Amino acid sequence: MLPAGCSRRLVAELRDARDACAERQRQLERSLCVSRRLLRTWEPVETPAAEPAPGPEPNEEAPPPACTPSPQELKELELLTQALEKAVRVRKGTSKAGERHKALSLKSGSAAASATTASAPSRASSQAGSRASETKPPRGAHQTTVPARGLPECRLPSVGDRTHMGRGARATKPGPGLRDQQIPPSAAPQAPEAFTLKEKGILLKLPMAYRKAASQNSRLWAQFSSTQTSDSRDAATTAKTQFLQKMKMTSGWPSSGLSAAEAEAEVGLLQKACSLLRRRMEEELSADPADWMQEYHCLLTLEGLQAITGRCLHRVQGLRAAVAGQQLGPWPEGRCPRASVPCEGRTDPSWSPQLLLYSSTKELQTLAALRLRVAMLEQQIHLEKVLMAELLPLVSTRDPQGPSWLVLCRAVHSLLCEGGERFLTILRDEPAD
Amino acid sequence: MGRRRPRGPRGDTVGALPEAIAALSQTLPAGPSPEIFRRAKFDRPEAAPALWQLLFRVLSPLPRDGASASPASPALEAQVHLVKSALRSQGYPRRALAQLPEDGSQGSRELLLALAWLLARGPLLEQLLAQTRVRLGDEIPLCECEALASAGPLPPRREADGPVDIRHLQWLMGKLRFQWRNLITSQQEQCALLGKIHSYTQGCHSDRSLGHLSVAETELFRDPEGGRQLLQRLESENARLEAALVWRRQELVFWKWMDTVLGACPLEASQPTFLPRIPTGGAGELELVAQELQALHEELRGAAEPRRAAWEARVGGWGPEQTAVQRASREAVGRELAALQRACEQGEALAQPHGPCRLVKTDARASGGPGLRAAELIGALRSRETRLEAVLGRLQTRCRQELTRLAGARPGLLWILPPGR
Repeated sequence: MLPAGCSRRLVAELRDARDACAERQRQLERSLCVSRRLLRTWEPVETPAAEPAPGPEPNEEAPPPACTPSPQELKELELLTQALEKAVRVRKGTSKAGERHKALSLKSGSAAASATTASAPSRASSQAGSRASETKPPRGAHQTTVPARGLPECRLPSVGDRTHMGRGARATKPGPGLRDQQIPPSAAPQAPEAFTLKEKGILLKLPMAYRKAASQNSRLWAQFSSTQTSDSRDAATTAKTQFLQKMKMTSGWPSSGLSAAEAEAEVGLLQKACSLLRRRMEEELSADPADWMQEYHCLLTLEGLQAITGRCLHRVQGLRAAVAGQQLGPWPEGRCPRASVPCEGRTDPSWSPQLLLYSSTKELQTLAALRLRVAMLEQQIHLEKVLMAELLPLVSTRDPQGPSWLVLCRAVHSLLCEGGERFLTILRDEPAD
Repeated sequence: MGRRRPRGPRGDTVGALPEAIAALSQTLPAGPSPEIFRRAKFDRPEAAPALWQLLFRVLSPLPRDGASASPASPALEAQVHLVKSALRSQGYPRRALAQLPEDGSQGSRELLLALAWLLARGPLLEQLLAQTRVRLGDEIPLCECEALASAGPLPPRREADGPVDIRHLQWLMGKLRFQWRNLITSQQEQCALLGKIHSYTQGCHSDRSLGHLSVAETELFRDPEGGRQLLQRLESENARLEAALVWRRQELVFWKWMDTVLGACPLEASQPTFLPRIPTGGAGELELVAQELQALHEELRGAAEPRRAAWEARVGGWGPEQTAVQRASREAVGRELAALQRACEQGEALAQPHGPCRLVKTDARASGGPGLRAAELIGALRSRETRLEAVLGRLQTRCRQELTRLAGARPGLLWILPPGR
């Protein structure tokens, strides 16, 4: 058994590490679920047993249960579909204007979507086939309209607004009306073709309302992130500084110098400094000086590094005093809020998203894997330090002749020197007497 | 300030303050009505609960995409408690705030001051907006700080029940390794799926520089209700961004007003107070880095001292020519190390890319547009990986040496290292 304090600290550290990992996994699973669903066929209609319609990738994984609609849901869906179809028929009889038609489709689309989160049938409007003559679909695919249900302006890529007319007259197919977007105009109506992103993704066109909002959004972020200064902003900066000073002057706290957040940031800086200095030292020691000038250069560098390290140690002293003198509690329940911790002391980060261009899936995979690898190494290094600080003193203070010492030694060796993956073998080398 | 008067063309007349406050409250997440701010100046108790809630929202990190589904907020009393200690840990200077009653019924003026203090200190509004940013594209966090921030608040640390065996630690380590392996597999699959979605929708985006749709955008077509919600969130974010831009133009008048608010407060008498001291989590980290620095210092001394001695013995009778070269050397090294010293003090912003990134699949040939290149990032990550591997290897070597030394206390044993490596 490990001492209680040591156990508590180490178990807590390892749990934190596992929690962080689990959170990443949860996030990933969520996006995986959405992406997988998008790559399957979107409309498991006709077959309540949720037989995947032909068409998706043969190597597509089996969907996780959470994403598959249950038979019950499918049944409800079917009922809803019938009701909507009827609604369309009734509505069609009374409505001739394209605008009213649109309003209907918007309404019914939302009803269908709120009924189930699984793939719902397409909206109740029948507007497919109305533009066959104007569009030559890419890839030689069938004429297909892929509406964003409920978002009225979705249409084929190259079609203009003027095609509103003639919609009502052309596309009236009461029976399979809900799915007629997928029916090629000339094809037999009994074979509703499933939508897959692979075959028809290229026909998707973003609705106007979204396009407008998105482009405004990126314009606003760009404006927001611009570092352009003006007189009024400079004046505001000065006013803020003065306000902070005034607040400090009227403060009733004894000035403790550092806040807990600042102390933490300073520790982070020292950690970075330490690894920076170590790296520089190793570079210097591994170089082979060719002449006396280089030798001298090396000597001066090493002495300089020593001086800088000394100053860092001095900062550690100051920080120790500050932490000891602090009258601060840590963040209650849980730990320090992470969101407010700036990265690498960056003062002026860019707030607007930038583009990251990749050329192939393989490249993207390499990038993502490396990112994880780096995160994992950082975690490993942290754990290694924590384990070292707790376990090495334990090995050195326990009695080597005691019964559990060898077991401890072997476990510690595995944890600290082999990343917990391998064990050493210990043989008793006693002369037989 | 209650009555609106027609404003002059430059907007710096009487109406400017209400406008600035309105912009501020619109920019803040769930910002209270501007009237609350006015009442807070007069320390009216009815304004207090709204401001406690606002500060709580501002000071506690939100989980990713938490903007739409507002998480259940804790009781007001818990919010008050959290606001107080969060402000304290950030070094908030006013004691009056800490002394406010825990039920959140009072102190609107102190709370207004605290909000102003947070606003004055740093890019608070920017951070808040970035935190809840509507993510339209497929993103990959470039920097760990974002990966962590988007994960939301850490769950409270659970304490282990009692002493555990070292085998328990090994078991936890094994679990952890397994989790990482799963993560890597899932990540690879996600990248493959993204690649497919991007190429299947190539050319569908109205924005030429993007070209293809993102997962969120493709979802618009599959889930119209979700699409409508996304659009709504996007529009409200646009409104907040516009308000933030108005705020930036108008904030000067707010700061003048805050001066009068601060002026209305009685001066705090300076008196030492003693709160129970709770050890901060940073102390352990500090000791770790202190040990590392100490070890480094020793190593440097061990390397430099013999070199210095050898050098002194050699340069006995050197002429002025060599002395000049020596001086030049000293200056060069001095310049180089000055930069290193600065980096050690200020934590130089390494050329590491940072900030949100939208993934865009492009034709390898058609490069030249704006944006980061994955290949460059891969290069940077590889060198980071190598560096970290070296650090880890060094630590392990140190442990191996230490254990070998300790094993010397027990002779008569054969230590057989595991194969591999």
